[in-house]
Amino acid sequence: MEKENSTLECRNVSIEFPGVKALTNVNFSIGSGTIHAMLGANGAGKSTLMKVFAGANPGYTGEVLVNGEVVELRDTNTAKRLGIQIVYQEVDTALIGSMSVAENVMINSLVMDMGKRQFVNWPNIRKRAKETLERLNVHLNVNELCSNLSLAEKQMVLIARAIVHECKFLILDEPTAPLSDTETKELFKMVRHLRETYNMTVIFITHRLYEVLEVCDAYTVMRNGEIVGGAPITEQTTTKEIVEMMLGHSFDESFPKEATEIGEEDFEVSHLCDTEGMVNDVSIHCRKGEIIGIAGLVGAGKTELCKTIFGAMKAGSGEVKLHGKTLKIKNPSDAVKERIALVPEERRKEGVLITETVEFNLAAGSLGQFCNASFVNRAKTAANAKKYVEELGIKTPTIKQVVANLSGGNQQKVAVGKWIAADSDVYIFDEPTKGVDVNAKTEIFRLINDIAKLGKCVIYASSENQELLSISDRIYVMYDGKIMAELETAKTSEDEIMHYSVGATEAYAG
Amino acid sequence: MTATMKSNKSLTRVLMDWAAVIVMIAAIIIFTAVKGTSFFSPVNAINILRAMSITTIFAIGATVTMAPDGFDMSACTLASCSGYIFASTFLWWGLPIPVAVIITIIVTMVLYQLTMLLILVCHIPDMLATCALMFVHQGLGLFYTGGGAVSAGMSTRWGAAPVRPGWTTSFLAIGKSPYCIIIMLAVVIFAHIFLTYTKHGRYLYAMGGNKIAAKLSGINTTKYRYMAGMITAVIVAIGAMVVTSRNSAAQIQGCDNYLMPSLAAVFVGRSVGGQEKPNALGTLIGAALVCVLDNGLTQVGVAYYVLPAVRGAVMALALVLAYITKKQD
Repeated sequence: MEKENSTLECRNVSIEFPGVKALTNVNFSIGSGTIHAMLGANGAGKSTLMKVFAGANPGYTGEVLVNGEVVELRDTNTAKRLGIQIVYQEVDTALIGSMSVAENVMINSLVMDMGKRQFVNWPNIRKRAKETLERLNVHLNVNELCSNLSLAEKQMVLIARAIVHECKFLILDEPTAPLSDTETKELFKMVRHLRETYNMTVIFITHRLYEVLEVCDAYTVMRNGEIVGGAPITEQTTTKEIVEMMLGHSFDESFPKEATEIGEEDFEVSHLCDTEGMVNDVSIHCRKGEIIGIAGLVGAGKTELCKTIFGAMKAGSGEVKLHGKTLKIKNPSDAVKERIALVPEERRKEGVLITETVEFNLAAGSLGQFCNASFVNRAKTAANAKKYVEELGIKTPTIKQVVANLSGGNQQKVAVGKWIAADSDVYIFDEPTKGVDVNAKTEIFRLINDIAKLGKCVIYASSENQELLSISDRIYVMYDGKIMAELETAKTSEDEIMHYSVGATEAYAG
Repeated sequence: MTATMKSNKSLTRVLMDWAAVIVMIAAIIIFTAVKGTSFFSPVNAINILRAMSITTIFAIGATVTMAPDGFDMSACTLASCSGYIFASTFLWWGLPIPVAVIITIIVTMVLYQLTMLLILVCHIPDMLATCALMFVHQGLGLFYTGGGAVSAGMSTRWGAAPVRPGWTTSFLAIGKSPYCIIIMLAVVIFAHIFLTYTKHGRYLYAMGGNKIAAKLSGINTTKYRYMAGMITAVIVAIGAMVVTSRNSAAQIQGCDNYLMPSLAAVFVGRSVGGQEKPNALGTLIGAALVCVLDNGLTQVGVAYYVLPAVRGAVMALALVLAYITKKQD
């Protein structure tokens, strides 16, 4: 293949979503044959910028140039024609599990290039799929169903789909987040092979800084929708300087942490593993009235840990103890009986019954106490709902309002309220502030503080380190399903949490 | 990735993939051992094929609907309506068979617009929409016939004498072997080629596997769901005509009872050969399994009223084998 040089550039690109400025005057350019890392904390704008290049963010302002010429990237097909291909992190949303590898690789061509032909040329489809996979140095049986593949193999199928047609710029959105170490190494080998053999440009979005140093030629750091820096990667580049650049020190909103009286050891998880390898030998403990934080980047295993404790995901081995008694939790129903509560990350899907009323939701965690011989006593549930609507400051016209009509913050209060009504002893929060505004956030924090004051154990998982620093007493940092460090909140810093979040094993130097 | 690829499927997986076939072969061996050549003979093979032809035709209709993740509870009540149309065009108006066939197919397709309206325009989930339509079809069909069956020697809806006094040999031949078997095989082969080798079939499967991904690949999902519906309508009409000819009458709700066996055939056939999607050959095997059991069990002297229980149990066994390795959510 001839080595032609192509460039991708953007000038003054901005994009605004309702109420948020997602990108502000971004200037970025990249040439052929490089592996480039896009870095930044959650919500920094990396994915938004990449979607502009992929034509999936048609509302941008500013200019995008390919080979020095201005192009209008208003739909994904234009981007594909220009040789810009993107592979998103959620592989299962893009793959068709019940179809073969060959078809999944060739699906775009099956739809676009058929013209008037009615019959699928199977030998040709298989051959081209095979060739494309071979270009990636991947050897898969093209007749296998995609649902039988491992996550890493599925990703390879998607990358193959991206390069079936001419591909000059390949964007990989967090490709390594769900992969194991060996699989990650395979991916890197393939990426290097693409660069060397086809002079392709690969842009990586990732949170794993060690990988960046290992495989990338250069990096760019984004923060709050702006590019704040970047440099070629040399022997001297350290993760420390990148972390500093990612954090900046611009934001310092702090939430009032009220002192609570911390009591005796009450809740203990030891050597917990799940069956999927996402929770790996985790031991944590929590005292009465203590708020412990679980830090870690997206994909570190925080959600899986929460769900495994709660019995919503199968535990492989390990032990959970409450009040000195070993619990047998096989499913969420067992956990609720033992007075453990989970406020899950996917609020609308998992946290509340979205089409039910506020009244019913607030009773749902402990419906038994509102019943007379299996009949729900409406007077009791109504009294319960009124009590908590007032106590928690849930803004709703009436308790008969359907939860779907409340704002995100108020929905979250309902999700928490149902467990307070159930009088749980251990509260697990998984990203409770996701998608709620600043005021609601403060109220949720106050609520969690109040729960701790009652002498309950609180586990607070979040990838927002600022929040953990302001609300918790102690922080465990997770990476790749493992606890990397246990830190006293009063004595730690955002830098230190980030240091362990990206997988560092050596002690933090400060 | 060479190292991580499982190039050889495990033996258990192969066994699971062919569970329906294995259960069927086991059944054949057992019945042969008990009944000898009265079961294992060309004559009886024809018997079984004839018995399975109608179920298979309706099951293929269901397969085409289910390929893009659709569902149709009302296919067989619609078939009863088609049966009335076929019998009445032939008897009451005395139209020649080819014309009666074409009119029946067209009317069935027109009636199917109602199904498509509810599903595609009103966005009612398939299961609920077709559940409601079952009753609509039953009432509509009997409204057309005036509340009775359409059979030879009976007067028309409007009280006049029918143009034809009775059935002809060629009309009755449609439901007899070898024609009903040939029709069944033709429908199966058509569906197999359509679903496996044409781009349309692959799009339907893409929709069934992951509707959003299919849409984002540029497939017009509404158009293809409609297309699947129309093909189902044609197949349903064909099934109805075979039933009418076999019964020598368009009986009241004459096709309704084929719904459950045909759906069962599709479910059993889904996993045949590790396909994991409704497919024509799998459906044929599913229907064959159902009929081999019926035939064999009757021969070994199982009372007809116990038959459904045994038939259901064996099918459940085939399904258990096929789904036992599936991961739990």
